Amino acid sequence: MLLSQRVLCKAALAAQARGYPAYWLCAVACQRPKQPDTQPVVRGSAQPSSGQGYPCAEREGMGSMGETHVIGTRMPRADAPAKLRGQERFAGDLPVHGLLHARPVLSLQAHARLNGIDASAALAVPGVVAVLTAADLPFSGGGPPRANESLARTEIVYAGQPVALVIAESEAAAEEGAALVEILADDLPVVIDPLAAMAPDAALARVLTKASEDATEAAMHGVAAGGVVDAPSERLSANVSGRTHLHMGDIAAGFAKADVTAEGSFSTAWVHQGYIEPQTCVAIPNGMGGLTLHASTQGLFRTRQLVAQTLGLPEDRIRIVAMPVGGGFGGKFGLVEPLTAGAALAVGRPVRLAFTRSEDLLASNPASGGRIEVKIGARRDGRVTALQARLVFDTGAYPNSPMAAAAFAVAGCYHFPNLDVRGYEVLTNRLGPGAYRAPGNPQASFAVEAVMDDLAAQLSMDPIAFRLKNVPVEGDPRPDGKVWPVIGLQECLQRLSTHPLWQKRCAGGTATNGRYREGIGVAVGGWRGGLEPAAAFCNLDPAGVLTIVVGAVDLSGTFTTFRMIAAETLGIDYELIRVVSADSSNAPIAGGSGGSKIIYTVGQAVQRAALDAKAQILDLASSVLEAAPEDLEIAGDRVRVKGMPSEPAYEISIARIAQLTIGLGARYAPISGRGTGAQTANAPGFSAHLARVGVDLDTGRVDVLEYVATQDVGRALNPAAVEGQITGAVVQGIGWGLYEQIVHDDSGQVLSGSLMDYALPKADVVPPIETVLVEVPSPDGPFGARGVGEPPVIPVAAAIANAIQNATGVRPTAMPMTPESLWRALVK
Amino acid sequence: MYPAAFDYAKPATVAEAVSLLSANPDAKILNGGHSLLPAMKLRLAQPAMLVDIGGISELKQVSVNGGATIGAAATYDDLLKHDGLKAHTALYEAMSKVGDVQVRNRGTVGGSAAHADPAADIPAALIALGAELVAVGPNGTRTIAADDFFVDILTTALEPDEVLTEIRIPASGASSAYEKFAHPASGYAVCGVAVALERDGEGTVTNARIAVTGSVYKATRCSAAEAAITGTKATAADIEAAAAVAADGLELAGDHYASAEYRGHLTKVLTKRALTRAAG
Ligand SMILES: Cc1cc2nc3c(=O)[nH]c(=O)nc-3n(C[C@H](O)[C@H](O)[C@H](O)COP(=O)(O)OP(=O)(O)OC[C@H]3O[C@@H](n4cnc5c(N)ncnc54)[C@H](O)[C@@H]3O)c2cc1C
Repeated sequence: MLLSQRVLCKAALAAQARGYPAYWLCAVACQRPKQPDTQPVVRGSAQPSSGQGYPCAEREGMGSMGETHVIGTRMPRADAPAKLRGQERFAGDLPVHGLLHARPVLSLQAHARLNGIDASAALAVPGVVAVLTAADLPFSGGGPPRANESLARTEIVYAGQPVALVIAESEAAAEEGAALVEILADDLPVVIDPLAAMAPDAALARVLTKASEDATEAAMHGVAAGGVVDAPSERLSANVSGRTHLHMGDIAAGFAKADVTAEGSFSTAWVHQGYIEPQTCVAIPNGMGGLTLHASTQGLFRTRQLVAQTLGLPEDRIRIVAMPVGGGFGGKFGLVEPLTAGAALAVGRPVRLAFTRSEDLLASNPASGGRIEVKIGARRDGRVTALQARLVFDTGAYPNSPMAAAAFAVAGCYHFPNLDVRGYEVLTNRLGPGAYRAPGNPQASFAVEAVMDDLAAQLSMDPIAFRLKNVPVEGDPRPDGKVWPVIGLQECLQRLSTHPLWQKRCAGGTATNGRYREGIGVAVGGWRGGLEPAAAFCNLDPAGVLTIVVGAVDLSGTFTTFRMIAAETLGIDYELIRVVSADSSNAPIAGGSGGSKIIYTVGQAVQRAALDAKAQILDLASSVLEAAPEDLEIAGDRVRVKGMPSEPAYEISIARIAQLTIGLGARYAPISGRGTGAQTANAPGFSAHLARVGVDLDTGRVDVLEYVATQDVGRALNPAAVEGQITGAVVQGIGWGLYEQIVHDDSGQVLSGSLMDYALPKADVVPPIETVLVEVPSPDGPFGARGVGEPPVIPVAAAIANAIQNATGVRPTAMPMTPESLWRALVK
Repeated sequence: MYPAAFDYAKPATVAEAVSLLSANPDAKILNGGHSLLPAMKLRLAQPAMLVDIGGISELKQVSVNGGATIGAAATYDDLLKHDGLKAHTALYEAMSKVGDVQVRNRGTVGGSAAHADPAADIPAALIALGAELVAVGPNGTRTIAADDFFVDILTTALEPDEVLTEIRIPASGASSAYEKFAHPASGYAVCGVAVALERDGEGTVTNARIAVTGSVYKATRCSAAEAAITGTKATAADIEAAAAVAADGLELAGDHYASAEYRGHLTKVLTKRALTRAAG
């Protein structure tokens, strides 16, 4: 008798019928904390590079790199205690009077003509207030296509696309209602293979709607890479939404000069950012046509702009309160916010939309996959002569793939005198992509680093020595026609070449035992670094606490580092400084937390605001103490006259200074510092990694056994936070390399819609990770810092692949490198 | 992640549980809840009533003396604390490889058997050890051999109004082992192989039971491998030969993570490893 089956619903039976054991629970991904000994490498103080000026620290009077007191110390993250104790309140935790709950109804069809919905059964559920469709949302049509299609309009373009939104008095009623909504839609041909979709006569991923307002704008997409770029002119289908062409020198002549060439074709998967907190937003109408949104967002200004455009409202009618973010990694730059805002305006009450884990896997904006073909030529002396590459990125239902960034990245780690890189992004009926930590770069590295290793083998050269002959240094031309500033890739590789793990490989000392093999691999990656103008304020509170106000959110410990920057700059105790994030209606301008730019840009503004406040404090103290500002110093919690005894006549506390500026009859102007900046020069960060893996030849299972990550961080302002960034990125890279993929079947169904199917790396597969910090100061970053977030995720999959090749002689060509794919390669 | 509405009952006796099931055709037994509740939260299961057997103390009893009698509501964690069960190595190893600590604290061998998930570890071990499952229904008590218990995906020989009360492991003196290749996301078996070997004084295999899970739609015996190893001294070459035919005759399952062909291959690899340990 079908005991269990008698209560299983249609969907489960359908899943079984397809032969998939359906596992439905969430496993929690976590990483084993590591505290390896690290030895920061400090390469003296940087010489100013030609025309670049002195390091900011010098220019702004911070003393040379060696003399800091707070910068460079290991500071515990200020946000950690609340998070560890479960006291942090995220967007979904907010108590809101009169709150309604939203549940999306997701399409099961990947491509269909939408005829309507039947909401009658849902509306009969007690507690259901409304079932909204696209027509009910007060959208202007002005926002980007994905926001405008937050609920499908005439055409369903991916399985998982929200078609209706059930609004109810409780979560349970909303969910009950959503289960009862019927979508009425007629199937259209599903486009799922991006390579096939490029052919001029291929079926189209969109037949009734357009994915971008303007095709030329999409074709311009590649220009984001900058430099020598034009669009290749083959005849291709309308699915191709963007093209780029990077070239330098003469590619044919370059290959003619080569003594050896190596090439490969590599495929990469769709990968989710794996943040713990799903997409969440609470929208509260203000009764005057505007809204306040409490959002889990990496960028409040970008989110405000997105919502305002989509609703057709002036930006000042939208107030975004950036809540603590439970992970983003690029995936939280505005996704559910327009929909939540539209729903709240439609029903005139506060609405919360918090995705479930499955909704987040089906309907969010993960990294997209594709195919990268790479061919490189080299001379016998180990110099590369030419790079040819062709990249095809699947961009799902919306043009937003990292194709242009990947095109730069394939050419970005070596000095290729001749190169020809063509990139294409192709629309299919999959969910639309978003940014994920170093967009496009892990994929590019997987391809290029494999071919570089194969070339080193052909040349019988040590892979690190071969790379060292070809890495760019300051002054070398960049693939986009610009010139590299001072960078530390060479230093990273030099550190690895003398590392005991690499020495072990050179000595041929990896284990083999029966059907078990070990291998060690190397790979590199680099990130140009982001730029965006930023401002910061700081005010001295009545209690003598300096409050820094920024328009960024606290991700990966950046607020802790801001405090350290201010403490170092002012000489005030770290404990007397705090940092708050203002909301979009009153925050100083800042870019979103992405692209490894927050410390580089907002950090600079914080440093300048602190300098401004310092001058004001010294000015006030000078007047009270009747001493010249030059004779004063700030020491912890007070200002004192240099060289004088610690007596009331010669010093004044910061708290006292605050009191003199606040309240009836106070005689001094409040201390209020202001700092702004617009960085114009990138500070690229490079990383070089070693992986030791064990391979079970019988099953194809790979375990990463040991890991070493070097990175040029410019200056590690808070080494503990920097190591945390690197360690976390290595774990994510292991996910890219071995486990993670969003799988669609040919009909566009997502087969990995829960964490029981989508594999994140868990503690038991994470090896000891050693971080080695290399410090080649950037000319303009605060205290010489470079962005550290993106570089460490880039080379991980490639290093693992090269280690597998070293262990087995087999070259992996697909990410993730699953046991079955490796077994197939091994038995070939 | 809210289940559809349901009623809840907590009987104190097996008889009461049986009559609740008989009276409510859409009722389901709630045991550890670690398979049923997730399915309900995802609305893949929508029972009208849950009959919670957590209050029936006799179902938690465990006794080990040579063979073992395991109450259907005993948790993995309860059982792993019984050193006597280590003699039934395949089951002990299978239990210790289920999920994580939280899952083992709540999940039960009885629930796993009754659920018959094709990727669960326990069914293969029960088949290899020649277990018997005892069911009580409106018409009294009956005993079902593990070989006959697992019928299909999520389907057992139990009737809807029957309660699985206990699982009996015979005292066979077999030496056994369980090998598992776990799914990286779910932790369930992509393939799991349990073997139990009985040998005579000379070391000749007199009886071999080999069962596979994960690779197949329901836990199944690998008869070709059993035949190949029986009558041999279980040398490395004998084991190699038996493992080579382990997937013969199986209806292999495949999905996006592991194809049927690969699961067939894993069946052979794990059979070899399990046989090697059981014979050693
Ligand atoms: C995160 C996670 C990881 C897991 N990993 C694994 C794994 O690696 N390997 C593995 O094998 N399992 C795994 N499981 C499943 C786990 O072993 C379950 O506990 C087990 O499958 C079901 O036992 P239960 O007591 O929880 O049963 P329940 O969920 O309560 O019930 C399951 C089904 O059996 C029926 N049932 C239960 N008891 C009886 C009875 N006495 N009589 C009649 N019908 C009954 C119920 O009505 C229901 O249909 C995992 C579960 C989770 C949540």
